[in-house]
Amino acid sequence: MAEHLRTGARGEELAASHLAGLGWTILERNVSFRGGELDIVALDGDELVVVEVRTRSPGWMQRAEESVGPRKIARLVRAGRVYVDSRRWEGPWRIDLLAVTLDGDAPPEIERFEDITAGGWSS
Amino acid sequence: MNSVQGITLRGMEAVGVEVEVEIAGGLFSISIVGLPDAAVRESKERVRAALRSLDMAVRGRVAVNLAPADLPKEGAVLDLPIAIGIASAMGRLPSVPRGIFLGELALDGRLRGVRGAVGAAILARDTGVPLFAPADNAEEISLVRGCEAYSVESLDALFACFRGERSLPPVSERGPEEERARPEPDFADIRGQAGAKRALEIAAAGHHNILLIGSPGSGKTLLARALRGILPPLSHEELLEVTLVRSTLGLPFERGLTPPFRSVHHTASTASVCGGGSNLRPGEVSLAHRGVLFLDEFPEFRRDLVEGLRQPLEDGVITVSRASGSALYPCRVLLVVAANPCQCGWEGDPVERCVCSGAELERYHRKISGPILDRIDLHVSVPRLLPRELVAVEESGGESSEVIAERVRAAREVQRDRWASLGFTCNAELPERVVKRSLALSAEVRPFLSSMAGSLRLSARGIGRVLKVARTIADLAGSRLVEVPHVGEALAYRDGGAFR
Repeated sequence: MAEHLRTGARGEELAASHLAGLGWTILERNVSFRGGELDIVALDGDELVVVEVRTRSPGWMQRAEESVGPRKIARLVRAGRVYVDSRRWEGPWRIDLLAVTLDGDAPPEIERFEDITAGGWSS
Repeated sequence: MNSVQGITLRGMEAVGVEVEVEIAGGLFSISIVGLPDAAVRESKERVRAALRSLDMAVRGRVAVNLAPADLPKEGAVLDLPIAIGIASAMGRLPSVPRGIFLGELALDGRLRGVRGAVGAAILARDTGVPLFAPADNAEEISLVRGCEAYSVESLDALFACFRGERSLPPVSERGPEEERARPEPDFADIRGQAGAKRALEIAAAGHHNILLIGSPGSGKTLLARALRGILPPLSHEELLEVTLVRSTLGLPFERGLTPPFRSVHHTASTASVCGGGSNLRPGEVSLAHRGVLFLDEFPEFRRDLVEGLRQPLEDGVITVSRASGSALYPCRVLLVVAANPCQCGWEGDPVERCVCSGAELERYHRKISGPILDRIDLHVSVPRLLPRELVAVEESGGESSEVIAERVRAAREVQRDRWASLGFTCNAELPERVVKRSLALSAEVRPFLSSMAGSLRLSARGIGRVLKVARTIADLAGSRLVEVPHVGEALAYRDGGAFR
C-alpha cells in the first residue's frame, strides 16, 4: 500500500472512533457506488451525517479543511443524494468534514466542521 | 399546516401575508416562494441564526410559502413570521396565538424596528387581531387607537410568551405630547417685514400657499422657517397621518405636534419630491403633509417637477404610478415658494442696480409664472432692508410667534367649526363649487368684486381664490361676514402684486 493511502486509512480509523466517542452510530464506511464514494456515514441522533474525512501530515501547504473546495462539495452533495435515495432515508441529513492531522507519534489532532453545505447550498 | 400572519407594504397600506412552512427530510435548505424581494430572500440567513441562538437547529428541506402568491413581498418585516412558522413546523412551539407578527431579526434573536409598523397597527385594529411588533416601533404604534398591540424585545421573549412562561408588555395607547418647543426662528427676531409677516399669518390661518419674492438677503428663507412656529399644532388624527407616511419610509418617529417643515433643494429629482421608485416610496411632498413644503430659488426647479406638483397640490393626494403598481399618498401641504425678483436678483432694489436685459426679465417672469402660480393665493414682496433701516427698526421687535400663533389657532377653530359638516378643516381646502354660496359675503362685496374683476382680469378660479383668502382675513378679524376691506386686502396679494 502506498504511503498516502496508508495515512488516509489511519485517518479514517481515528475519525470513526472519534465519532463513536461522540455517541454517534457508525452505519457504513467507505461506501462506494456509481456516482461517488463516501468515507463514513453515521447517525447523529435522528439526523444522518455524511462525513468526509481529510487526513494530513504536518508540512502540507494546505490545511485539511482548505482542501475541500466547491467542486468537491458539489460532488459530496450529489453522492449523498444518491446514497440517501438508495437507502430510502427520508429524514434530514447533512455533510460534515472531519480534519485529521497526524504528526508522527504525537496524539492526532481532530477537528470537525459541521454542516459544510449550509448557507449558500440551498438547492 | 402552520400558517402565521405577517404583512407587506403596498404604498402606505399594510397588506396581510400568510406565511406557511413545510419541512421535509433532506439536505438543509430554505426556499422562499411568493414573490420575495432580495431582503425577504436574505431573511433565511437571519432566521436560521436567530433560531440557532435559541438552540433550535433548523434541519432538512424547508419550504416557505408567502401567500397571496401574486403580491410582491418586500423588506425584512417578514423575518419574524417566517421564524415563528419554522419553529412551529419543527414542533418546537406549543401553539401560536392569532395575531399579526412583524419584525426584523438580528442574528442573536433580538428584534429590530421595521418600516410600516403604523400601517400594520391599523390593519390589526381593522381586522380585530392583536399585533406583535418590535419594541422599537412601540411609540409610533401607540398612536393607533383601539389596537391591541404587544411590544416584543426578542424572539426568545415571544416564544416564552407562547409557552405561557411570561407575558409581553402591551403597548398602551398614548396621546401625543402636549407641550411643544416652539421652533426657531421666532417672528419677533425678524426685523421689519410687517407686510410679509401679515401675509404669512394669513397663510397659516387659512392654509393658503404663499410666494415670497425678494432680493438676496432680504430674509425670505428666514420668514419661511418662522412660518412653522405659527401653524396650529397637529391634531391627533393629523399626527397619525404624518407618522404613517414617515413609518412607510422607516423614518424615526417624531413625538410632538409641530407640523412638518420640508425644505427641498432645487436640484432634487422629481421622484424624490413627488414620490416614486420601483417600490413606490412617498416623496418630500408627502413628508410635508399637514405642514410646510418650502421651495427656495423656485425658478431654478425643473419644469417637470413643478408641473408634477400642480394637481397634487390641488387634490391633497398624490398617486405614484410605476410599472410595478401605484400607490396613493397624502400631500395636503402649505406650499411656500421663494424667488428672486429677477435673474440677477436686484430688480426693484433701492440701492443695487439690476443688470438684467429686458429679454432676460421677460424670460424670468415667464419661468416663474404659469399654472403653478395660479395655485398660490398670496404673492408677497419681501424688500431688502437697508442697513440704516435695520438699525431704525431694531427697537421695535414686533410680535412674537406665540402671539401670532394664538390668533391663527383661533381663526382655524372658527373655520373647523364652520366647515365641519362639509368635512373640511380650513378655508384653503374648499372646492370651487362650495365657495360662493357658503362664504357669507356681505352685500357690498359682490358689486365691489365685479367692478374689480374687470380691471384686474381675474378668472373664475381667481375670484374663488380671492374670496377664500378674504374669508381667512375675515376669520382673523373675527368677522362673521366677509366685508369689502377683507376682499381688498386679499386682492392686493394677487398675482402681479409682487412684480412691480
